[in-house]
Amino acid sequence: MRARMTGVLAIVSLAIVLSLAAARTLPSAAERPSEEQVAQGLTCQCGCGLTVANCNMPTCSFSVPTRHQIQDMIDHGKSQVEIIAFYRHKFGEKVLSAPTTQGFNLLAWITPFAALLAGGVLIVFTARRWHREPDSPPSQPAPAAPDENSFDPELRRKLAEDLRKGG
Amino acid sequence: MPDLGRLALAIALLLAFYSIGANVFGARRRRPEFIASARHALWAMCAMVTIAVVALWTGLLSSDFSLEYVASYSSTTLPTVYKFTALWGGQQGSLLLWTWLLSIFTSVAAYQHRRRNPEIAPYAMAVLAGVAIFFLGMLNFVTRPFDLLPVIPAQGTDLNPLLQNYWMAIHPPSLYTGYVSATVPFAFGAAALMTGKLDDSWIRSTRRWAIFSWFFLTLGNLFGARWAYEVLGWGGYWAWDPVENAAFMPWLVMTAYLHSVMIQERKDMLKVWNLALIGLAFSLTIFGTFITRSGVISSVHSFTQSGLGPYFLSFLVLIVAAYTGLLIFRARELRSPAEFESYLSREAAFLFNNLMLIGIAFAVFWGTIFPVLSEAVRGVKITVGPPFFNSVAGPLALGLIFLMGVGPLIAWRRTTASNLVKSFTAPAITGVATGVVALAAGLRTWYVLTAFSLAAFVLGTVVVEFRRGVGARRHMLAEPAPRALVNLVAKNNRRYGGYIIHIGVIVAFVGIVGSSFFKTEVKKSVREGQSFTVGAYQLRYLGLSESDTAHMESATARIEVSRNGRVVTEMAPAKLFYKREQQPATKVAIRSTPFADLYIVLAGLDENGNQATFEVFLTPLVFWLWAGGLLMAIGTVVVMWPNVRERAAIAAAVRRAAPVAITGEPAPGGD
Repeated sequence: MRARMTGVLAIVSLAIVLSLAAARTLPSAAERPSEEQVAQGLTCQCGCGLTVANCNMPTCSFSVPTRHQIQDMIDHGKSQVEIIAFYRHKFGEKVLSAPTTQGFNLLAWITPFAALLAGGVLIVFTARRWHREPDSPPSQPAPAAPDENSFDPELRRKLAEDLRKGG
Repeated sequence: MPDLGRLALAIALLLAFYSIGANVFGARRRRPEFIASARHALWAMCAMVTIAVVALWTGLLSSDFSLEYVASYSSTTLPTVYKFTALWGGQQGSLLLWTWLLSIFTSVAAYQHRRRNPEIAPYAMAVLAGVAIFFLGMLNFVTRPFDLLPVIPAQGTDLNPLLQNYWMAIHPPSLYTGYVSATVPFAFGAAALMTGKLDDSWIRSTRRWAIFSWFFLTLGNLFGARWAYEVLGWGGYWAWDPVENAAFMPWLVMTAYLHSVMIQERKDMLKVWNLALIGLAFSLTIFGTFITRSGVISSVHSFTQSGLGPYFLSFLVLIVAAYTGLLIFRARELRSPAEFESYLSREAAFLFNNLMLIGIAFAVFWGTIFPVLSEAVRGVKITVGPPFFNSVAGPLALGLIFLMGVGPLIAWRRTTASNLVKSFTAPAITGVATGVVALAAGLRTWYVLTAFSLAAFVLGTVVVEFRRGVGARRHMLAEPAPRALVNLVAKNNRRYGGYIIHIGVIVAFVGIVGSSFFKTEVKKSVREGQSFTVGAYQLRYLGLSESDTAHMESATARIEVSRNGRVVTEMAPAKLFYKREQQPATKVAIRSTPFADLYIVLAGLDENGNQATFEVFLTPLVFWLWAGGLLMAIGTVVVMWPNVRERAAIAAAVRRAAPVAITGEPAPGGD
């Protein structure tokens, strides 16, 4: 029981760490952003499906002027969050290149980690069901698959086998 | 020729139907002559599809604009090589390529299994023929490559300029080869479920197919990334576009499968899981095709969009439902006496490796379909782009890299604390030292520090593994180190080839991290003779040269690149204008070194050509992404190299599985 709890706790902690790691990559309000950073946060509306930063159609009617505007706004001291909010107000949510972290959209962010957590818990419970107390020393090799070896005794055994075959 | 192509496709469809009937009848009634006849029908089907492919190529190369396909995707001015690649430049042609590859792989599998696995092979061939029927049905009735135009145009519309690139000549065939060859292990998995022959003989006899598929999925993804890098002109190679995701997901699932089958081969565990994974991998290849062709999710890959979505979706639903049904039907028989001793075991490392790989695949899937969900639930269109995928998949990738280091060094069943210390001390010190050096060098981004440390840790574990093996050979055989190394890899190609692939993955990962976090971008407008600086480089605009051919106009800028006052090279980015499509395009100039790529785009020109605007990217370490890809390819070739002992093991597994061959012939092993 204790082992299972430890396993579950380890998986939960891992999921929390990974989620926090993901959260760290979201934009903060304080830093002066680069035009590229902001443009990565917006989806080009020309129909290419890429971000404003990535659409490189020389004559694009959306990404080209938008990148100029973004630079202007950065020069006027606007933060990444403010600039993105400006475009969201103007074009709606579809202009954002990632879902917001509110309401239904929160599902987009949470579900992958929740699924990972569920998978981890499933492994822990399944392993528990499969658990068998060790009854032999771990260094004793199990019957070998054709090309498996792990530790020196087994390596030596394999080597001997190779030699027999003229290695 | 068009008539011949149409006729060949119709006959191929009939042969596929016949093959299913003859295979199933022959297997059920134990009539080997019917199974042999079904096999011949599959070979004939392959010949028919080949005739159709040759017919379409003939149409393209001879600019036969009476064919709607040729008129839509070629022109008389299109360079010959692109007339050839236009076979997969459009909807019908690319489906024909898919079907052709499927018919070739089916024929090869039928040949390999003419005497082997006699109980499940006929059903596997029937599944393969069933998949072929879907594609041949599409080519015969829904999206026909040999449709004629009522009025023959004097000139064709031409191939999309973005596809007129040599990477496009190899990216789709590679990816399709990866996609389509996954059908073979899937078909054998399905056949194992149908017949109840649920031991690992289906895995062993299709293991090479799975690796082959993984190899080409890897190449397909890398070639696509390289194409994006050279053609799209935004300085990057991966945009998390839905279609890129669609190619990435089967790769992830196939990677998980290749690892988890080792547990089944070794410990007879995870039967359901492996069958589920191969079903998932195949379903994802169809899902990828559905995404590319349905237009449900907007994508940069709009080259082949059409109204085929409902057909692919129906096929996908049918496959998933039938396969899941079979899994449920056999659930009781699939239970195996599993044993698990410790989390400090290779089994555990593989289980968590699978969790991470499938976790990433799910995150990518979720992000890809979330816009559709959002529209259905809230009625609001949203976009899920790179920031989401980087945030979610990035941390998971770190977990995966960590497990890549742990897995190979710990033993099956369980590992003692002293073994753990012995195995991991040197790699752990290498990892920490790398982190400290990176910190001292001024790196402050937590992700980069962790990524580089983990990469060094994994490389450390691989070195430890090679050192152990070489050491043992030197000790026992007194072989010199280089010879010991060669023999070690040659005698255990599956294991050490796998490590070479791991090194490739780490090298590519370092390239991805370096190029994602440290890219510098400069946009500058300059007059002839003026210079500007990007990183350590000084760039001087020397002038413009123009050319005009029947196919396109181009304006090429010449830029002298210097470093520390010394000229290192001259680069030539260009703006192109394709006349037939009236479409502009850019030709990027790239100077690649192991430290950084200098990437120049000619972004604009003023009226008289005196002033030019350049967009320049300095991207560190991106070279290593491609180098890592090459190493992965080399490692896969090593893994796939025929191994005498493995052939014997396959033969033994097959003999155990099918002591009485219904063909009445002996059952030799090996593929």
